[in-house]
Amino acid sequence: MRVILSLLLRAAVVLAGTALATFTLLWHAPGDPALAIALARFRSVVPDAVIEQVRVEAGFDAGFWPAFLSWLGPILLGDFGQSSVTGRDVWPELVTAMSYTFPLALSGLAIGVALSIPLALLATRHPGGWLDRFAVALASIGVAIPQFWLGLLLILLFAVQLGWLPAMGARTPTHLILPALTLGLTVSASLTRILRSGILEARGRPFLPAFRRRGVSEAHLTRNHIAPHAAIPVVTVFGLELAFLLEGVVMVEVIFARPGLGIFLVGAIEARDFPKVQAVVILAALLFVTVNLLIDLLYQVIDPRIGDRDA
Amino acid sequence: MRSVIVLAGVFVALAVCGPLVAPHDPTAINIAQRLSPPGPDWILGTDALGRDILSRLLHGARWSLGLAFLISVIGLCMGTLMGLLAAQGGKLADWIVMRTTDTFLAFPDLVAAVVIAGVLGAGTGSLIFALTVTGWMRYARVVRGIGLSLQTRGYVVQAKLAGLSPLAIARWHYLPALMPSLTVVWTGMFARAILGISALGFLGFGVQPPMPEWGTMLLDARIHMRSTPLQMIWPGLAVVICVLAINLAGDALRDRLAGQEEQA
Repeated sequence: MRVILSLLLRAAVVLAGTALATFTLLWHAPGDPALAIALARFRSVVPDAVIEQVRVEAGFDAGFWPAFLSWLGPILLGDFGQSSVTGRDVWPELVTAMSYTFPLALSGLAIGVALSIPLALLATRHPGGWLDRFAVALASIGVAIPQFWLGLLLILLFAVQLGWLPAMGARTPTHLILPALTLGLTVSASLTRILRSGILEARGRPFLPAFRRRGVSEAHLTRNHIAPHAAIPVVTVFGLELAFLLEGVVMVEVIFARPGLGIFLVGAIEARDFPKVQAVVILAALLFVTVNLLIDLLYQVIDPRIGDRDA
Repeated sequence: MRSVIVLAGVFVALAVCGPLVAPHDPTAINIAQRLSPPGPDWILGTDALGRDILSRLLHGARWSLGLAFLISVIGLCMGTLMGLLAAQGGKLADWIVMRTTDTFLAFPDLVAAVVIAGVLGAGTGSLIFALTVTGWMRYARVVRGIGLSLQTRGYVVQAKLAGLSPLAIARWHYLPALMPSLTVVWTGMFARAILGISALGFLGFGVQPPMPEWGTMLLDARIHMRSTPLQMIWPGLAVVICVLAINLAGDALRDRLAGQEEQA
């Protein structure tokens, strides 16, 4: 119980830290934010009086801490404010963007898992054999490839040269294939590496020969002894893997012009639409803190010896 | 260790000598020869402004590899200092540093780097700042862990009791213990920095044209994907080869260290 409370406290601190870091960054961004808002809103030369009015309206005149608190307050209640460019609410646009991002992220993850588990199992059947070397080589290259370049290569092959699949936009379900494949291939590369070393380590455990001598079947050993041991490193890196997935989503969406969170974020940065940028950052941080919290809690279930990861 | 040193040597040589062997000026515009296919004059062809792609690749090594080296070394120094502070500075310092690392680690580094570099305005300065700020946490964790375990070791306690200065303890007891693990983390962060620089360059938030950075070259090449697809291959291939080489050297080093530990 004490562990759970300290985990929750830590999650809250991390979230508050992210909010503070984001606000500090945007507060110190070059240029006058009030001028940027006024310019975006009126699209012409604006008199100083209007800029001052915007400044008061946005609460920028009050100084850093009051401005931070007056921004944080509504967010705690779930109100992400209005776009400084269009004046429309950020939240509905964010929901639309998520409806493009989540199918992509989930199908990318599914492809990654579906490719890496069989590959890792086949590779570890004969460690050092040609299949194992092939899997390791493939995974090493997959980890080294920039996701956006892999996406460009797939577009070049399947959309430009062969003309089989559409590359740009998200109108039909077939538009999901190439982006999901790009994401899935890179995810499978890093998952294969982790799974392979996890399985090899589990196979080397000293209790296995003892079980074998007692006549326990290989299938039983794999299911009840090797798999749980191989699962621990996978759970450990799942949080990192999710971070990797979100990074990939941003780049892949930009490449394939898929109007999800990635394009939303990059577009908001380019338009200097800071409420939108803040909303994406807070949302992503919330997602990660939640996942990491779940992982830490899951640890308590899988392996109660671990306790607090830092201690 | 040797493989990492050899590799670092090759990369330094590439970044230093690459521009010297480049056949053309990487920024010389030659519209008459734009998008030429590979040939005797232009070994890898020319881009949309008629600039020699091979020369741009060779000069680009200075940006892509040089900046990545700089970023990973600044991160190394920053992370080591933070880690030592957490290990030695008492409970409060430890708590603050570790929650700060948690906060930075809770977020995908590349997304954070995109936000920071984009908000601060495109340019090499904000690129370096963005990738450094998001790239020191792993060093800090490793250093803190080793630092905490060293504190209670007999020889460190004895050195302290014998009146050795903290600087001497850091030099003779901490540095040798930290070096191997830090080198492994460093190879990983060096590779990440190369990928990060190319990704930010591709998004237009990194090194600005006309400087020949590999990610920026890919951004240029993407528009002409239909007419000259080969133009898009070279910069990406350069990134993959460099990252792959660094990762393999890092893996080899890690395996050797693990082997040594088992023997000891």
